[in-house]
Amino acid sequence: MIEFKDVSTIYDNDESVEILNGVNLEIKDGEFVSIIGPAGAGKSTLLRLLTREISPYKGVVVLDGINLAEIPSKAIPLLRRKIGTVYQDFKLLSAKTAFENVAFAMEVCGADKGEIDRDVPKILGIVGLGDKLKSFPHQLSGGEKQRLAIARALIHRPRIILADEPTGNLDLVNSYDVVKLLMKINELGTTVILATHNREVVNAIGRRVMTMEKGRMVRDQIENGKYVI
Amino acid sequence: MENFQETAKRVFNVGWMNFKRNSYLSMGTTGVMVLVLFLFSGLMSLNYLASQIVGGLEEKVDISVYFKNEASEGEIAKVKSDLELLGIVKNVEYVSKDQALNEFKERHAGNTLVQDSLAELDENPLQASLNVKANDSSQYASIATFLEGNKFRSLVDKISFYENEQVIKRVLAISEGLRNWGFLLTMALALIAVLVTFNTVRLTIYSQKQEIEIMRLVGGSNWHIKAPYLIEGGMYGVLAAGIVVVVFYPMAYFISPKIETLMPGVSLMSYFVSNVFQFVPLIFFVGILLGVTSSFVAIRRFLKI
Repeated sequence: MIEFKDVSTIYDNDESVEILNGVNLEIKDGEFVSIIGPAGAGKSTLLRLLTREISPYKGVVVLDGINLAEIPSKAIPLLRRKIGTVYQDFKLLSAKTAFENVAFAMEVCGADKGEIDRDVPKILGIVGLGDKLKSFPHQLSGGEKQRLAIARALIHRPRIILADEPTGNLDLVNSYDVVKLLMKINELGTTVILATHNREVVNAIGRRVMTMEKGRMVRDQIENGKYVI
Repeated sequence: MENFQETAKRVFNVGWMNFKRNSYLSMGTTGVMVLVLFLFSGLMSLNYLASQIVGGLEEKVDISVYFKNEASEGEIAKVKSDLELLGIVKNVEYVSKDQALNEFKERHAGNTLVQDSLAELDENPLQASLNVKANDSSQYASIATFLEGNKFRSLVDKISFYENEQVIKRVLAISEGLRNWGFLLTMALALIAVLVTFNTVRLTIYSQKQEIEIMRLVGGSNWHIKAPYLIEGGMYGVLAAGIVVVVFYPMAYFISPKIETLMPGVSLMSYFVSNVFQFVPLIFFVGILLGVTSSFVAIRRFLKI
């Protein structure tokens, strides 16, 4: 379970510039939560707190009963292997093939060649890139790139997927493909947190929606339903 | 999970791949390291030449103790053995009256006036003496003081230290100056070299910032991320050291005779040939150390969580 208790963050140690302001939330295991809000609302900051890229200025972020601020630096990579991340700009390595991009995530975590050769084609098959193993990112469409990024995020079998504007660079068709993939992952038991400003995407998902504005959580629509302003 | 062998193989492979993939940048970094290692080799040559100059100057300095005519050979031998017992004395050479006369005659063999004058004399006008060489030029004053207080003082006519004191002091000052300034210059240039290498390697690693960021985001441990970059840094060092060794020896071979015309008896080439088993490993060691340390410092910046 993920809990935010009165979490505030500031910009560059300047107390006068608050990015998040007293955020409280609770996300249960296996939930699909969309966080919506305009640019600068604090959606990405909220996700970065979960990967311990930043720490709260005030309040605590708790994952499975552990206060993330108390995790020693050396254990942060282990935390990140539990959490898969997907970004708007894909963050793929342009000089590596689809296979190598996913394998790279396994290599840096110490997987051996046998594991890599077994798991990478399997995960690429799941995201529909089974025939693109040797393709480089520039040979893939936007949707394929994002599916490759999702495959990389899934390779460690994470319990949580954080998707930060994953459809931001995609057309409508590809956006729905990516959303469908995220929903499929969620159905298999993975918690998915999706940060987006795209209302159509959120409406299509029809799950829990949190709304952020100026660093505050202004609405938490727990029941199924359309996101409506 | 990977075993040690697999990890080592992967780390070397990734390091080598990084090196190859950024070939222009790698060549640039290696080029800078070649210059830096050349500077180190140059500094070693300068230190050798300075030590030869200092050694040559100091070698020329000694003091002579001239004995009165009534001093017997036995008494002079006693003074000699007293001096040799002093820890600060390198060697003592006895020059008898006859030996001094013979040497004088040899020196002035072509001078008939001197030869005729000597023939006119009934007895040998020269004195027996001891030439004393100290371990260190700064110790001549102590040796002179020792002789002043020696029980055979009454046998001593004069000690040349007092006549040469100014020259000895000057030689000492020059030697000290050469040593100190040489050391300071070496340190300053070494510092500049280290800073240049650090910044070059940092720029090279900076170009791979995105990859490092992705590695961190996918949960790569610090050592898994760091190790290939350290290997890459080491590769710059090895390649640069190899180039320096291959180019430096032929250069020393050509420069050495020119230095020898200025400083007879000083051969840069023989120095580096006789010290090849110290010089070559040292250059490789400095190269690898510089490369690895620079990478270590540079990558730390990007791994701060």
